[in-house]
Amino acid sequence: MAEVAEVLRIVHDDPGLRFELLADLCGVDTGAAMEVVYHLWSAGSRDWLRVVATGLSREDPRAPSVTFLWRGAEWAEREAYDMFGIVFEGNRDLRRIYMPPDYRSFPLRKDFLLPDDASRSPGEGVRPMEAAPEPAVLTGTPADLRHAREATP
Amino acid sequence: MTSPETRIRSLDDPSLFVDTPATIYDAIPPYPPRTEREAEFYTLREGEMLINIGPQHPSTHGVLRVVLKIDGERIVDLDPVLGYLHRGVEKICENSDWHMVISHCDPLEYIASMFSEYVPVLAAEKLLDVTVPRRAEYIRVLACELNRISSHALFMGWLALDLGGITPILYGFLERDEIVEMLAALTGQRLLFNYMRIGGVNGDLNHEFMSRLGDWMSHALRHIEDSMALINSNEIFVGRTRGLGRIDRQTALRMCLSGPPLRATGIPYDVRRAHPYSVYPELEFEIPTREEGDSYARYLLHLDEIKQSIHIIDQVLHRIPDGPIMAKLPRLLRPRPGRAWAAIESPRGQYGVYAMSDGTDQPFRLRIHDPSFFNLQSVGLLSPGHLIADIMAIMASLDPIMGGVDK
Repeated sequence: MAEVAEVLRIVHDDPGLRFELLADLCGVDTGAAMEVVYHLWSAGSRDWLRVVATGLSREDPRAPSVTFLWRGAEWAEREAYDMFGIVFEGNRDLRRIYMPPDYRSFPLRKDFLLPDDASRSPGEGVRPMEAAPEPAVLTGTPADLRHAREATP
Repeated sequence: MTSPETRIRSLDDPSLFVDTPATIYDAIPPYPPRTEREAEFYTLREGEMLINIGPQHPSTHGVLRVVLKIDGERIVDLDPVLGYLHRGVEKICENSDWHMVISHCDPLEYIASMFSEYVPVLAAEKLLDVTVPRRAEYIRVLACELNRISSHALFMGWLALDLGGITPILYGFLERDEIVEMLAALTGQRLLFNYMRIGGVNGDLNHEFMSRLGDWMSHALRHIEDSMALINSNEIFVGRTRGLGRIDRQTALRMCLSGPPLRATGIPYDVRRAHPYSVYPELEFEIPTREEGDSYARYLLHLDEIKQSIHIIDQVLHRIPDGPIMAKLPRLLRPRPGRAWAAIESPRGQYGVYAMSDGTDQPFRLRIHDPSFFNLQSVGLLSPGHLIADIMAIMASLDPIMGGVDK
C-alpha cells in the first residue's frame, strides 16, 4: 500500500496540482476490507480531491503514514488506529487517542456490535444483555475478533 | 484500643502521599511506553519535571488533560490526553436513522451547534439529490451567521478571561445572550437548536425573532466595537498575546489548521468562498486575513469576521424570498448507495462530514471532521519555550471545543 503515500506526495508537490491542504483523513470499514480516505483541497483548482486507499486486509490493516507531508495528520491517524486498528507505518506516536490505553478492541469496525443494538434488526426486539458476544466486544486482537454479526441470533 | 495501622495520620505526614496509589491522574503512566514519541516524552533530563493540567481545569474549556514537561517555568514539551468526553457519536450515528443523526451531531460543537447539525444534513442532501427551497437556504445562512457571531463574541471574552481579565466575558455574554434568546424564539432552544432538517428547516421566521433581530441589528456593531475596545488596545492584553504562539503559513498548512488560526497566517481559506455551499455565492462579503499568525492576530481576526457576518445578515434580510421552507421528501429516507463529502465553515474552521450510504435508512459510515480536533493539535508545536501561564493564551486563541474534539 506504499503507493498511497507516493500518490499523495505527487499531488501535494506537483506545481500544477498543489493539493496542499489536507481537509480530512479517516478510516472506513466496508465489511469486506479496510479503507483510508483522504480529502485534499487545492488553491489552484479550488476543489476537493478524494483519494481512497482501498483493499486493506481486515486481519492486519496497514497503510503508510502521511505525517511526512502533513504533521497534523498524526492525530487523525491515531484516531483511525484507535477506531479501526489500521496501523500507519511511519507515524511516531501511534497509540490510542480516545479509548483508554488498556482497551483492546476497535469500536468502529463493523463486527463490533453494540450490546443493546436492537435498531439494526427492528422487529426482533432487544437481545438480552447476557447473550451479547462479550469477548468480541471487549478483548481480542484484530486477528481473532470473530464476526459478532454472524454469531448473533 | 486502636492498632497502629488504623490511626488517622496528619496531612503533614509525607508518607501519606507516598502511600497514595497511582491513579489515572498521575502524570507518568503506570505502563511501559507504547511509542517512540511517548518514550521520548516521559524520559526526563536534568531539571525537568512533569505536571498535569486538567482534566478539570477552567482554562482547558472542557475536559482536556495536558501533561506538561517543564524546566522551571518554561514549557519543554507537552502531551495532550484526549478522550474524557468521548461518546462515540460516529458509532451512534451508524446505528440511528438519518433524521436522528441531526440531534446526535448537535451537541458536538455546543457553542455553535447550528453548524454541527448543518453538515450531516448537507451530506444527506447530497446523497438524496434534494434541492432545498431558497427561503430555507436563506434562513439557514441567517441562523448560522447569528450563531457565528455569538460564538465569536464568547471567544473574545474567554480569551481575556484566560489572561485574567474578568470584565470582557460579561460583555461577550451580553451579546451572546441577545442572540441566543433570538435563536430560542426561532428554534425553541437556547443551546442545542435541532433546527436543520434534511430538505429545509424546522420552522419559518416568526414575529418575535424578527423583532428581536431588528432591535439587535440596530446596535450590534456599535456594542461589539465598544465592548471590545476594552481589550483591543489594553496594554496587558496586547503585551501578553502579541507575538505569542506565532505560526507561519507553511507550518499552518502542515499542521492541517483551518479557520481563524489558518487565516491569521495569511491564507484566505474559507469554505464559504473556497467551495461555496448554500446561497453564499450570491452574497457579498470578504474573507479577512492577517499576516502575523500570533494569538493577537487570531483575536483581531474574530472581530473582523463578526463585522462580515453582520454584513451578511444585513444582505440576507433584504434578499430573503417567500416560499416553502421544506422540500417534499418521504418520511423514511433511503439515500442512494454512495459517498458524499460535505464541508462548511464553522466559527472554528472547516467542519466536514464524509457520509457513506448503503441504500438503507441508516448511514453506513459517518465521519465527522471537527476543526477543533485539528487546531488543538498544534498547541504541542506552539507552546514549547513559553511560560506555563502562556499556554492558556495559546490554547484559548485556538478556540477548541472539547465536545467536538472528543466526539
